[in-house]
Amino acid sequence: MESKFLQVRDLQIEYTSGKQVIHAVNGVSFDLERGKTLGMVGETGAGKTSIAKSIIGVLPNPPARITGGEILLDGKNLLEASEEEMLKIRGNQISMIFQDPMTALNPLMTIGDQIAEAIELHSENAGKHAAKEQAIKILKMVGITEERYEEFPYQFSGGMKQRVVIAIALSCNPELLLADEPTTALDVTIQAQVLDMMNDLRRRLNSAMILITHDLGVVAEMCDDVAVVYAGEIIEKGTKEDIFDHPTHPYTNGLFGSLPMMAVGEKRLHPINGMMPDPTNLPKGCKFSPRCPYATDDCRTGQIVLDEITPGHFCRCIRNSKEAHNV
Amino acid sequence: MSDSVIEVRNLKKYFSVPGGQLHAVDDVSFTIEKGQTLGVVGESGCGKSTLGRTIIHLLDSTGGQILLNGKDITKLNAHQLKEARSNMQIIFQDPYSSLNPRMTVGEIVSEPLMLSGRYNKKQISEESDRLMDLVGIEERLRNSYSHELDGGRRQRVGIARAIALKPEFIVCDEPVSALDVSIQAQVLNLLMDLQDSIGLTLMFVTHDLSVVRHISSHICVMYLGQMVEKAETEELFTRPMHPYTKALLSAIPSVDIHHPSKRVLLKGEITSPINPKPGCRFYSRCPYATEKCKEPQELHEISPEHFISCCRAKEI
Repeated sequence: MESKFLQVRDLQIEYTSGKQVIHAVNGVSFDLERGKTLGMVGETGAGKTSIAKSIIGVLPNPPARITGGEILLDGKNLLEASEEEMLKIRGNQISMIFQDPMTALNPLMTIGDQIAEAIELHSENAGKHAAKEQAIKILKMVGITEERYEEFPYQFSGGMKQRVVIAIALSCNPELLLADEPTTALDVTIQAQVLDMMNDLRRRLNSAMILITHDLGVVAEMCDDVAVVYAGEIIEKGTKEDIFDHPTHPYTNGLFGSLPMMAVGEKRLHPINGMMPDPTNLPKGCKFSPRCPYATDDCRTGQIVLDEITPGHFCRCIRNSKEAHNV
Repeated sequence: MSDSVIEVRNLKKYFSVPGGQLHAVDDVSFTIEKGQTLGVVGESGCGKSTLGRTIIHLLDSTGGQILLNGKDITKLNAHQLKEARSNMQIIFQDPYSSLNPRMTVGEIVSEPLMLSGRYNKKQISEESDRLMDLVGIEERLRNSYSHELDGGRRQRVGIARAIALKPEFIVCDEPVSALDVSIQAQVLNLLMDLQDSIGLTLMFVTHDLSVVRHISSHICVMYLGQMVEKAETEELFTRPMHPYTKALLSAIPSVDIHHPSKRVLLKGEITSPINPKPGCRFYSRCPYATEKCKEPQELHEISPEHFISCCRAKEI
């Protein structure tokens, strides 16, 4: 039996702040195949970035601590890998695009050197010269001319910087790309350019990608599968068609209802009442129950599991599970 | 005789920078009628925030006129300006930095009431209660500081402060951009409710086109300090005429997975607004650019109430 490329099993992450314990990620599991893109959606503080950082092993410890679960890449558990092993994996097999291109680059190094540095560190036979040649090639691939190799980040606009960050992430042909809100800081026309380029490059390299975003439009254009994260749990996951055509969890429906685009011709939006629960003091039972219009006593007390409602489409909601199984 | 609340005529705002004049707002004209919302859209650096701030006179204009209920506010003295300001307000983008961290929610909402000199102590307390209730801030938060509130509640405080003196006109400068979608929807609903109940006239500055479509009656599109297109909202979204507007609208990622939007990808990025050349400022990125575009472009009416500044719009 062939094992999946990336398997995350029951991942749990806590942050400690003084005496408080923040339960950022509470038992997240998902799989990802080569060449596929998983969209991870959810609001600020849902735990999306913590999940990505734990995969590439850059979660700051302390304050963060992985308290359980495993992350298997090609069958190898990354959480048990030594720092030395991780150094080889990071940037080589897995790389990450961070949200803010303004702070992700070293302001004192030229753009070209920053790309060449990654190549030199990770390819065994690359000397300085070969690394530079490779860096120029990648720079061209993301649409930046060779003349700008010797320039510094401050001479680049936001969109250009994000291209450089993407160039660095792709410089070693990663098998897994983690993109954390890669276009959130960019204007829409520039976002369109960058997304187009990412799609093109990813297809060429057949990389798997986890795309973290709060923009459902970006998910619709880029992803094969979608996982909706709320208060550190996946509350719904499935193919893009499952989520967009048959959103099932009340939170997922709330997200769609909040979109002004979906409400054309309708005056009022349908927001979700209230806000994200305090992660130091999560509600018992369903974590969405305080905001959910359908919540019952069972929701507030019971253990709510992620249930398969149709093949491949999972939802963490007893209301839907009941309906699905009765039908 | 029209009942326009705000009329802007040939407004200019230039900044002196090393290397010349930065044309942040260049010859912009429009009117907003009572109870309507004008959406101003464009990418970062196009001058939309500067436009908002210049209109309510947080920045001095370089040229042109701003008429509030028919009176030119660019020529007012300090005392008259203070009077006029009570009639026009602004809600800022960042609810994290636009509220005084050393003042409680109650103090922030009461401050404009106090400064106006229109109310006595008892009235101030009653009026601030009413305002907090109106924007949906719980009474128990009266003595909280802004850092104790989440983004959505902070923005509600900002809104309460803005409507305290019953202004007719409010500039909303990206009021929901810093908020999560579910909270964003709550705040947008609040703004629309307030507009209905107290008859506000709004200018809504944003880069988020879906938000602007939802809330605005008219939209103007800006590019590098100039207005390139202006029309009624549905007209603009269904029949965009300017090549930049077309590209901008096509770049919005669509949530309709079965009918993905056909993208018009633009080359390059926004050019420098410092000492711009006289011709069309979109020239370097425009797929339809010709020699004719190097001449100054006039905003002209291409169909009723639909204005555009592109000499090739009829051909493309």
